[in-house]
Amino acid sequence: MRGSFWVKRLAQLLITVFGVTFGCSLLVQLLPVSPAEILLPVGSPEERDLLTKEIGLDRGPIGYYAKWLGEFVTGDFGDIYYSGGTEEVSGRLATALPRSLLLMIYTQIVALSIAIPLGVWSAYRVGRRADKVISNTLFTMSSIPNFAIALVLVLIVGVRLQWLPTLDYQPFSAGPWEHAKHMIMPVLSLSVGLVASYTRLLRADMIATLREDYITMAASKGLSDRRVLWRHAFRPSSVTLFTSAALNMGGLIGGAIVVETIFATYGVGFEVFAAISGRQYIALQSMVAIICIFYVLFNLTIDVIAGYVDPRTRDRRINA
Amino acid sequence: MRKKYTIPTYFAFGWLGFAVFLAVFGSFIPIDGYQVIHGDFIDSPPFTSGHWFGVDSNGYDIFSGIINGARLSIFIAVVSVGLGGFIGSLLGVTAAYYRGRYDSVVNTAFNVVLSVPNLVLALALVAVLATNVDINEAVPTWRRLITLVMSLTIVIIPILGRIARAATLAWSGREFIVAARSMGMRDRHIISRHIVPNVLPALIAVGFLAVGVVIIAEASLSLLGVGIPDGASWGGMIARGRNDLEYNPHALYIPIIALAFTVISTNHVGDVLRGKLDRREGRL
Repeated sequence: MRGSFWVKRLAQLLITVFGVTFGCSLLVQLLPVSPAEILLPVGSPEERDLLTKEIGLDRGPIGYYAKWLGEFVTGDFGDIYYSGGTEEVSGRLATALPRSLLLMIYTQIVALSIAIPLGVWSAYRVGRRADKVISNTLFTMSSIPNFAIALVLVLIVGVRLQWLPTLDYQPFSAGPWEHAKHMIMPVLSLSVGLVASYTRLLRADMIATLREDYITMAASKGLSDRRVLWRHAFRPSSVTLFTSAALNMGGLIGGAIVVETIFATYGVGFEVFAAISGRQYIALQSMVAIICIFYVLFNLTIDVIAGYVDPRTRDRRINA
Repeated sequence: MRKKYTIPTYFAFGWLGFAVFLAVFGSFIPIDGYQVIHGDFIDSPPFTSGHWFGVDSNGYDIFSGIINGARLSIFIAVVSVGLGGFIGSLLGVTAAYYRGRYDSVVNTAFNVVLSVPNLVLALALVAVLATNVDINEAVPTWRRLITLVMSLTIVIIPILGRIARAATLAWSGREFIVAARSMGMRDRHIISRHIVPNVLPALIAVGFLAVGVVIIAEASLSLLGVGIPDGASWGGMIARGRNDLEYNPHALYIPIIALAFTVISTNHVGDVLRGKLDRREGRL
């Protein structure tokens, strides 16, 4: 049982990774013009031929994919081509990836620390006015796209009140407050939607848990409501919440494109955008592949953890 | 007992109806087109006479921009969700009904596409499909529109396809399906008479949510500069308003409000429909 679960899960993972990376490499093949022509707009035919050979585009779709994959696993993610020379994609990602990871972690911390009390509270007061107000407000907020929140924040906090800088990123080494000042608005605009969906998930699970017999039992022992809520009801209700929080991680890394562009945070999402507007399709291919691999790996990790926390989930997800 | 709709639901239906009305009949409303420049009114705030929503710094009337934007945004959303939903449910329903190797291929394909974040996928597809040989030559608008719709359709296919597959899996084990099969009913008929009518409500509910997703995706693409050019859609208006938000904030927040209302409404309607479905399922 256990062995077959891991074999199946691993096979699924490998198939997905190969499928996605092959799909990315097909994108380059699908280009209506030869990539060499785009990358070397003023090059001579000989130079273009050389570049085509160097990238491996003369080998057909499978050969190209094999060459790209061979270099990809050794950490060579291809080059970005300028009129003057080239720059390695891996160097760009080395600065972009930590930023995106930090942004993602802050977003998750903020979203969870707001959503957990709200979810527990609205489940506790289910059907009362507090629950209705929280649920309806959050539902409305969850429908507002994150770029809209970002732009409104820029307008009010950045331009009108001048409280926070609207552009750029500062590393933590530049001072915690400097770092925080540049992160507050991007993090807020990304976390509003998450707060809503997390609260919703937790509320639904908590309501179900609070109907269980052992909760009645705990309450009838004379434990305080607060203790029952946090010690007895929260833990078993939180599995879905943390699973979905973790599933969001992969999406957040690349999915923050617009917010990263608005605030000039220059994370991975922005690099993807830059690769597209600079027509760097080889770089684009490697970046999309990295984002997807992150996403798939996060999913696997979560399945492993969820499997330990709650063994019932092991088989449920593999067929889903 | 059928529960009556609440006030927000009426509001959501009302707004969606209004937006669709604007999208369909917008060109018959007797006001200037969205590309007419009102030189005397540049930067006028909302509630200026003749320009209810004000005029932006280029001299474009925002009200007619919103009407034209409704047409584009809603057209793109409805076409891609419709097309994506059709292809997706065709794949999902047949996969879940026939099972076997075909099913695992389809399911793997869905998983592969779903592992790319929505926006990254749409962005990559639009970028690749709308590439021109000459960087200085602008891509014609119709080609942009087609590639945009195609890319968003590809984004939608696995989302709705998965829902269709899951719903079909749940229904095809039911007794009446087994009975129909044992009576020798053809697969084609079982799918069209028994499975599709049962799967459709769930698909329609998620379809409303998908419309919201597509509207946001289209606006995001416009903000990134790869959407429909000339600020013709709501996203394009937001992108243009963004450049001038210090002196002319209404050029930014009016399209944002229109877009947010629409997405809130589609999400709300999708949610209400799903809730009704759960009740119906719960009684069985």
